[in-house]
Amino acid sequence: MEQIKAVQSTLAKPQKQRSGWSKGYLWGFLFVLPALATFTLFLWLPIFKGVLNSFYYVDFVKGDSFVGFDNYKAIFSDPDVLTSVKNTLYYMGLALAIGFWVPILFALCISEMRRFQGFARVAAYLPYVVPFVVLYGVWRWLYDPVGPINALLKAIGIGQINFMVDRSWSMISIVIMETWQSFGSAMLIYLAAILSVPRDWYEAAEIDGAGIWQRIRHITLPAIRNQIVLLLMLQLISTSQGFQTHYAMLDGGPNNATLTYALLIVKYAFVRQDYGVASALGVLMFLALSILAVIQYRVNNKGGVQG
Amino acid sequence: MKSHERGIMSSYDLQKPATRWGYYAMNVLVVAMMCCMIYPILISMFNGLKLNTEVNSFPPTFFPREWHFENYIKAWNYIDLPFYFRNTIILFVGNMLVTVVVLGLASYALSKMKVPFKKGIYYYFLMTLFIPATTYMIPNFINLKDLGLMGSFAAIWLPAGANAFFLLLLKTFIDGIHVEIFESARIDGASELRSFFQIAFPLSIPIFATLAIFLFSTAWNDWFWPSFILSQENKPLSVAIKDFVLNARRLDMNIKFAILTIVMLPPIVIFLFFQKFILRGLYMGGVKG
Repeated sequence: MEQIKAVQSTLAKPQKQRSGWSKGYLWGFLFVLPALATFTLFLWLPIFKGVLNSFYYVDFVKGDSFVGFDNYKAIFSDPDVLTSVKNTLYYMGLALAIGFWVPILFALCISEMRRFQGFARVAAYLPYVVPFVVLYGVWRWLYDPVGPINALLKAIGIGQINFMVDRSWSMISIVIMETWQSFGSAMLIYLAAILSVPRDWYEAAEIDGAGIWQRIRHITLPAIRNQIVLLLMLQLISTSQGFQTHYAMLDGGPNNATLTYALLIVKYAFVRQDYGVASALGVLMFLALSILAVIQYRVNNKGGVQG
Repeated sequence: MKSHERGIMSSYDLQKPATRWGYYAMNVLVVAMMCCMIYPILISMFNGLKLNTEVNSFPPTFFPREWHFENYIKAWNYIDLPFYFRNTIILFVGNMLVTVVVLGLASYALSKMKVPFKKGIYYYFLMTLFIPATTYMIPNFINLKDLGLMGSFAAIWLPAGANAFFLLLLKTFIDGIHVEIFESARIDGASELRSFFQIAFPLSIPIFATLAIFLFSTAWNDWFWPSFILSQENKPLSVAIKDFVLNARRLDMNIKFAILTIVMLPPIVIFLFFQKFILRGLYMGGVKG
């Protein structure tokens, strides 16, 4: 086929353009072909299958059967769904309250340090390279009733806290652990932005009589505004889908206190073997998250940030 | 003393006692943060050297009372670590090859060659960025089952070629290479494949190195997806740790910590050795204003 097309274009086009065009097109197409195949097979196909499956009862042995909106009805009559939505929102809120300001604060502090700046930077980033499975093992022990954190709490006169078992503490414990692990990478982004603020601006502000807080408030924070908005969106997108830590540390317990929406999807699929409902949950999640994604895209473009 | 370029505070500010104390407090805060970061890493190393009774004692000690290096030998033999390590490396190498060939060729073509419906194809790739992976996680699982890839390494390798974020990074980088190089190569009679592998690829080594860092940390870290996709004999290190160490009931705590330390050390050592290079690479790949 390609050859015939090439011959046709040879006939149709003037001599000078001919070889360049047909040859260029053919090779260009061949070069993107593998990527077209993988994106179609491993991304677009599952995405469309997901929408389709949400209307089917999926059975690997007997074959799928069409059930209309039954999967969606099942979702709206399952009390766990409401619990999981609440838990996810609670988790997102906690991650903002506990984790979001930490990298900004330390980026400001480290940018002001006169010595050992590189050292602090590496130390802050170090937990980020600790593998997740190691993280889970180590923090289970740190949070243990007879672990070091409780030893510290006892030493300063606060009673024992059952970080993992206590319903009101389990989600907070997970957020603290995740903040410990990942704030370093966000901090590096803020730090780069803060260090690229021209020093003259502070000089000028100081001469005009601006105090330190005023300089931070009116120069530094506006200068890193794009990064703050961008990382806020990225954090919301990732925490709204969070489930791996909850699954590995507590398996959604105690008593569903850490059952997030994404974890519920996993449980529907791999515990209850109900892949149709799991797909339907995914479709609903997509509808909710696409709003967030659109906002992020607009922020991305406005800020001129790539990546 | 080396003169310091001023930051938000100037040296004049620091002459005021209140500000100076604030500055000290800030340094103390950063040091406290550094201790919090390093303590869990060090304590797992030391816990691996203690007697099991000492690990379980309350309040916990930091340095071991007696140093039991033989724990690490026991840990090494507890599960077949080299075997799972081999699987992790196989995953990483395969992902890297697929990334270079599939995404490298595609981004080179989209950046420097004539492609039919170029814009359309580009958006076809990039649109996938807006669909969160969790939402089609289960259909993805079913899809791999339908394609008959379940259990094999290919179920991880091939989808590595469908990464719009990496494609975007690569294309942005290749866009920055001057087109004249490729034109002169063409005039000299180089084929398109040759232009890619002998000119575009060597010039894009920095971005491929960044992707290699991402892919390595994914191969080393990722446990959830491989644990469902890969069969027992293809499991990488992370899944083996999750299955046989974290959930093991009759494993002494000191041996457990020794295993965790063995798994944690390679990425930390690699990071500390190449940290300048890695951090620069992450800036290139990360979100930067």
